[in-house]
Amino acid sequence: MATTETFPELPLFDLQLDKQDLYAVAQTLRSGWLTMGPRTEAFEDAFAAHLGARHAIAVSSCTAALHLAYLAAGVGPGDEVIVPSFTFVATAAAVVYCGATPVFAEIASRARPSLDPDDVARRITPRTKAVCVVHYAGYAAQADRLRELCDAHGIALIEDVAHAPSATLAGRALGTWGLAGAFSFFSNKVLSVGEGGLLCTDSEEVAEFARSRRSHAMTSGTWERHRRQTDTYDVVGLGYNYRIDEPRAALLLSRLERLQDDVARRRELTLRYRALLADVEGLIVPFEDADVPDSSCYVMPIMLERDGDHQAQVSSRLREQGIQTSIFYPSIHRFSAYRERFPDVSLPITELASRTELTLPLYPHMTHADQDRVVAALAQALAP
Amino acid sequence: MSNWRVPLTDVAMPEQDVQAVLDCLRSGWLTMGPRTAAFEAALAAYVGAPHALAVSSGTAALHLACLAAGLGPGDEVIVPALTFVASAAAARYVGAEPVLCDIRGNNGAGGYDLNIDVEDAARRITPRTRAIVAVHFGGYPADLPALRALCDQHELVLIEDCAEAIGARLPDGRQVGTVGELGAFSFFSKKQLCVGEGGMVATADEDRAERVRLLRSHALTSSTWDRHRGHDPAYDVVDIGFNYRLDEPRSALGLSRLERLDADIADRRALVRAYRARLAGLPGLELLWDEQAVELGSHFFFPVLLPSREERDRFRERLAASGVQTTWYPALHTFSDYRRAGAAGELPRAGEAADRHCALPLSITMHEATVEVVVELVRAALG
Repeated sequence: MATTETFPELPLFDLQLDKQDLYAVAQTLRSGWLTMGPRTEAFEDAFAAHLGARHAIAVSSCTAALHLAYLAAGVGPGDEVIVPSFTFVATAAAVVYCGATPVFAEIASRARPSLDPDDVARRITPRTKAVCVVHYAGYAAQADRLRELCDAHGIALIEDVAHAPSATLAGRALGTWGLAGAFSFFSNKVLSVGEGGLLCTDSEEVAEFARSRRSHAMTSGTWERHRRQTDTYDVVGLGYNYRIDEPRAALLLSRLERLQDDVARRRELTLRYRALLADVEGLIVPFEDADVPDSSCYVMPIMLERDGDHQAQVSSRLREQGIQTSIFYPSIHRFSAYRERFPDVSLPITELASRTELTLPLYPHMTHADQDRVVAALAQALAP
Repeated sequence: MSNWRVPLTDVAMPEQDVQAVLDCLRSGWLTMGPRTAAFEAALAAYVGAPHALAVSSGTAALHLACLAAGLGPGDEVIVPALTFVASAAAARYVGAEPVLCDIRGNNGAGGYDLNIDVEDAARRITPRTRAIVAVHFGGYPADLPALRALCDQHELVLIEDCAEAIGARLPDGRQVGTVGELGAFSFFSKKQLCVGEGGMVATADEDRAERVRLLRSHALTSSTWDRHRGHDPAYDVVDIGFNYRLDEPRSALGLSRLERLDADIADRRALVRAYRARLAGLPGLELLWDEQAVELGSHFFFPVLLPSREERDRFRERLAASGVQTTWYPALHTFSDYRRAGAAGELPRAGEAADRHCALPLSITMHEATVEVVVELVRAALG
């Protein structure tokens, strides 16, 4: 295997950290306090302010944030949560953690591959406890319409904002439209740290619940005891270890300062990609130029017009040219684990999108020459 | 902030550890890559287990161990009542029921022992029992030969909770975590080997290792790292998995610190011996375990016993007033959420030990002189 391994010249994502980021981590390590301390608090405050949310709770991953968000919404055995299938598997897996059933709903179209509110409405039953909307690739889904729909049915709206830490809908930050928003700081994300996530909410109750369950539902932590605020503790429910640690909080806090600049650069590159791709035959480029200024532009998705085994072929031709692509996303309901548990799900638009999507390289320090190379290679790969 | 004269624990962070993390950050590859693979290989060699899987925490390690043990709804898992809550919570994550059992206490040779009482565990076995979670409390090894025999006799899976015990040994030289089918370790900030948040599952069983590897990362058949290295972008999801991955900066830190682990444990043991020599025979204070346990243990914390809860609480208040931070572990059945898992009357020794013990400061930043300071303040607090 090792002999055939090649690192792509143009990877899907690439991460460059600044000196200031390294310094922040080094100072934290040298302080000797590594878990749940002043840096985590400072990052939470800064991120809440960035969003305009009342509470931000940093956790170990977006998966953990989704789990806590569903639990906070009261999701439990016998309940249903409506989720897209055109997303990373965690959106649905966290529903299963709660003992509930994920009910998969359609995306609107390949040109706008976000949850279709009309299809969501059709799937609401008396057992529906929540809807989770994913802001795919960093572009706002119809959170406003979904919010109205959820309010009308008395169910919770959860936002999977893994892709969208700096994006808006009607001027309001994504992640603040529902009961709770779940962010990801995974290494390939817009704001990345390695492994990490965050739950935001305006609800005091949800915030308190998430803080408690993030650390084993203990009534006090090591940090409070170190500061002599309290002595012992009780355990008041079934909690988890979903804590982030101080070095990661310090790195996030440092990188948050440049988030707006990084996103601005992503937007510029995305608009340039869109202009270049407009001349390439055989493609649908999701979303519109007008959406870009409000998006965090996490990835650059394209859809191949032609169906069939074309996707693997184009991906492999690009790989031969040193260009890495990915599929965002295979349909969750088609994975073996989900077919076994939740059979007979049919979502034609989602399935077509999964069969035809390719994600092109995009990262803030990508050059125009890199982009030109990607687009030229793609045009060649698509040529008959 | 804290203004403790002697804090309960402290973390030493030599510059080589800091540089290892910075090198990793400069590389730009932050998740599931070469550093995690190297850390896992080094951990496997250190513990003497064929497989070591790095995960996000000791709790995650216990959860994955329960899954790799095949535990599920309807199963009972025997867990000692004197431990950190994760030992029991992990069973509940998979829908199983933790059945609390008592600790040995002063019930036998070897000094007062805070570890699981194997005879009491045997009494709690029912047809639904599937596993025992053996905790090596504070870094002192539990009676693994007896636990192994009991589990073999009843066809139970033995899960070793080594969250406080990396580097602890059996009399025959084997490391804890290798006698059970699965060993769960923690790299939390206060532990002998610490990275912030982190953990590991050790196992000799190829299938169980594969299951842990799969479930730690959403049961994906290929990882971001595989795809980065040119593997096909397509993947399947073959089970309900989790995000329990450890990232590369933490693996780099763990790998750097692992080099000093044996020396650090030796330092901790020397501090414990210094404490014991000075505290032995003090009226109103009882030492735990014995010299053999001290020799085999890896010394996460150093607990002593006071005559009663009232005296323990007063002792702790006096030490706090003189700037010495201490702690104690509540027994699980006294937590609001665990009252139904075991009544106080059924767990007399765990309840008594929880009321009477007190952990004194212990960290490798301490010196024998620090021990002397603490001992003087202990004497004053007892007086």
